Amino acid sequence: MKYIKLIISTLLVCGLFYFLNYQHGRLPPLGKLLNPSAGFWQNNTSGDKVPEELDVPGLKDEVQVLFDDRHVPHIFAKNSHDLYFAQGYITARDRLWQMEMQTHLAAGRLSEILGKSAIETDRYHRRLGLLYGAENTLKAMLADPESRAAGEAYAEGVNAFIHMLNYKSLPLEYKILDYQPEEWTALKSTLILKLMSLTLSSYNREASMSTTREALGDAVMDELFPIYPLFPEPIIPAGSPWNFDAKIPEKPENEFRFNKGAVYAPDEEKASPGSNNWAVSSDLTSTGYPILCNDPHLGLSLPSIWYEIQLAAPDINVYGVTFPGVPTVIIGFNENVAWGYTNAGSDVFDWYALKFQDKNRKKYFYDGQWRPVSTRIEKIKVRNGPNVEDQVIYTHHGPVVYTDSKSSLFKNIPPGCALRWTAHDPSNDFLMFLKLNRAQNYDEYVHALSFFDCPAQNIVFADMSGDIAIWHNGKFPLRWPGQGRYISDGSDSNYDWQGWVPRADIPHIKNPERGFVSSANQEPTDSSYPYYLGSSYGSFTRPARINERLIEMKDISPDDMRRLQIDTLDLKARAILPGLSILMEEQKLTPAEKAAFKKIKLWNFKFLAELIEPTIFEYWWRELANIIWSDELEHPDGQLNRPGTNVTLDLIINKPDSPYFDIKTTEEKESLKELTFLSFKAAIQKLTERFGSMDESWTWGKARGTDINHLARIPGLNRKNLETNGNSGIVNATSLTFGPSWRMIVALGPELKAWGIYPGGQSGNPGSKFYDNMIDDWAAGKIYEVHFLKKPEIKEEHLSGKTRLRGAK
Amino acid sequence: MKDVIICLVILVLLQIFTPFWWWIILVPLVCGVLLAKTGWQAFRTGMLSAGLLWLVWSLYLMFSGSNIIAQRIAIMIGLNSRWLLVLMTALIAALSAGFSGSAGYFLRAALVKK
Repeated sequence: MKYIKLIISTLLVCGLFYFLNYQHGRLPPLGKLLNPSAGFWQNNTSGDKVPEELDVPGLKDEVQVLFDDRHVPHIFAKNSHDLYFAQGYITARDRLWQMEMQTHLAAGRLSEILGKSAIETDRYHRRLGLLYGAENTLKAMLADPESRAAGEAYAEGVNAFIHMLNYKSLPLEYKILDYQPEEWTALKSTLILKLMSLTLSSYNREASMSTTREALGDAVMDELFPIYPLFPEPIIPAGSPWNFDAKIPEKPENEFRFNKGAVYAPDEEKASPGSNNWAVSSDLTSTGYPILCNDPHLGLSLPSIWYEIQLAAPDINVYGVTFPGVPTVIIGFNENVAWGYTNAGSDVFDWYALKFQDKNRKKYFYDGQWRPVSTRIEKIKVRNGPNVEDQVIYTHHGPVVYTDSKSSLFKNIPPGCALRWTAHDPSNDFLMFLKLNRAQNYDEYVHALSFFDCPAQNIVFADMSGDIAIWHNGKFPLRWPGQGRYISDGSDSNYDWQGWVPRADIPHIKNPERGFVSSANQEPTDSSYPYYLGSSYGSFTRPARINERLIEMKDISPDDMRRLQIDTLDLKARAILPGLSILMEEQKLTPAEKAAFKKIKLWNFKFLAELIEPTIFEYWWRELANIIWSDELEHPDGQLNRPGTNVTLDLIINKPDSPYFDIKTTEEKESLKELTFLSFKAAIQKLTERFGSMDESWTWGKARGTDINHLARIPGLNRKNLETNGNSGIVNATSLTFGPSWRMIVALGPELKAWGIYPGGQSGNPGSKFYDNMIDDWAAGKIYEVHFLKKPEIKEEHLSGKTRLRGAK
Repeated sequence: MKDVIICLVILVLLQIFTPFWWWIILVPLVCGVLLAKTGWQAFRTGMLSAGLLWLVWSLYLMFSGSNIIAQRIAIMIGLNSRWLLVLMTALIAALSAGFSGSAGYFLRAALVKK
């Protein structure tokens, strides 16, 4: 009997230990996690207070760090090494888990943490060549003494923090996912830049464009997918002269055609990263000095993609936002200059169809000869499972991302094609940030830009002397007009990139007559620009709204700029709603539809959270576009590419009798008038099905809203259902998961003033009061004045902590 | 009662100076071997000492800065209330320690011949 009791109770205790000490699927190790002495209970607000003194081995001299009331660190170091060391240390203190998670994602190493569920994601990032590109970038970074020193000092700082950790002080997510941080390296900093290249420069639909061309023919392609936009609003004002001779490659006579491409999957919540930036000259501002503004629109997450910081040392004093994991300030200002970005969108990402000699894919055909491929082995470690070894074929173009359609993770990756992408090339992009942080004038800004290749950005600039400028900056291949819209021939050198657009020739403008420079992801130039850079630019609606407001404004104050950043007027609605209202056969609507129509007819085109009208319009627009295009674009495998917003708008505004309005499946001949009626009815039906009859649930803030998810999608660590204004295609480009990830306004001058906010908080600790403290103010359109300190001194009421980092003796 | 206090004091010391959660299994087990007179008493000693420790400790932390994180973890686990999470914390300690306490007693009972 006593043995039975012993055996049962021993088994029970062992079972409890096994259950509580280890992770089970998504259930964290509860014993470790709930332990009050070291588990999650210790990831609390006590981390918000910083110790007054800290011994940090590796520092050369003492570093002072002041934390202000939003937990923004102001770092004052005595030399460059200590500055980037301290940046690494302090950033890791607030964001270590995020830094490691993002670099594991980019390096294709998530399976080491998450197990076999992440293998395909890892394979995708490896096969895309992110790690390969990061290794090339690292070589360039280490070859330059300045960037090498900063990258290595930063890594030392991060590691100094990691070495001080114990289980109790480990960031929460390590406890939930049950693993330990590893050493930080300079490679990881370059991986973060590659992740940005993936987000910002990999947009492509060459596969589906090729299929669409085979189905519709070249003439229809030119009509539905014009190379130059129908409503031009170029960054460099139309008519600007070009003072250079351009060498443009010849288009091969019988252009290569690829007919095995995939089809496009239209998705409803389509939102893409974009951004706004502008600078207004001192003539137009109330302050007498230029004002520069930037709001990059990116996927929103907690912890936020940005970390705010001030970095000061004897030769530098710079403020702005950083990528956790990368030394230097990415977007910001110093005492004399300010800068910011929007994504360039020019095409630096091409697919090349290959002919392999046989199934072994050891050789591919190129200019009449069989060329050998090279092979890169990618070893993926898998937690609780066998490791995966993946072979990736490289040609002189680049990696063959997927060899067959079965293993392809995304439809826009054509199987058997090689990828040519500037993100794979060695370049010391990072040097631009180092030099911009210290730039004092326009020439130094232009010099800094020359180091940055990918992801290409529209980089806006303003300085104390009154110069304003914008460069469409990056490394762009020479192309014939339209080259790279379809899949290219990988066996003919005529399709290879024939060199680069000379840096001096890339679109840029300094101190234009109209007194401001601006960009919002639109085309860089009008069609007179000699080089062809791409054709997948953003619609005119955001840039045109920004420009019309800047042209109207006089005596511009920083608060005027804040109001422009949160402007919610939809140019698309303004362009078509009055016309559609006239076409509407109102008497044929049901009473419920009539009530909705009456509302939208009187609408001021503003996407405000408390209004019902934006919701009705958004649903109506979607139904209208569907009903116009779905019949034309039918394909045995799905839908062909849908033309852009501009083409649809052009039909509605200028071609009401276009044959595209006819619904092919009916005998009657429809025009825009019939579609207006049908699409409105369909929209109201969808809305009623989803939300019931028209009431508060139809308001834009509730019907659309914004979710800020946790990076690892851990429930409880997010903020959902924020009732936000704006929409994609609007200056306040907030959507379900994307939005202005950082809003910044810099009023230059002898007493420089700047404002900033991002939807998150400085601390990555979900138990901190600084984890999500800025989100509500961000959603409300507020912005904080930042504390740009000249000395390590700040008013007591703005100080939340002060610490001295000392190198250990 | 004396057993509970001895077990509690040892637990507090070990938990303050080390991060390991499994003291709440090991210490009651050893107490069960050395101190307990019945299986039920060993269970009660473990349950009361570890359960009380984790209950009071998590309650104390709840009022000194851990309320934000407790609410988030409660949602993550699906409890939705941080007070339930305090209860769950205490319950897990009480049960683990209780069972290991009686396992300790049964171990001695099996080894020591009467």
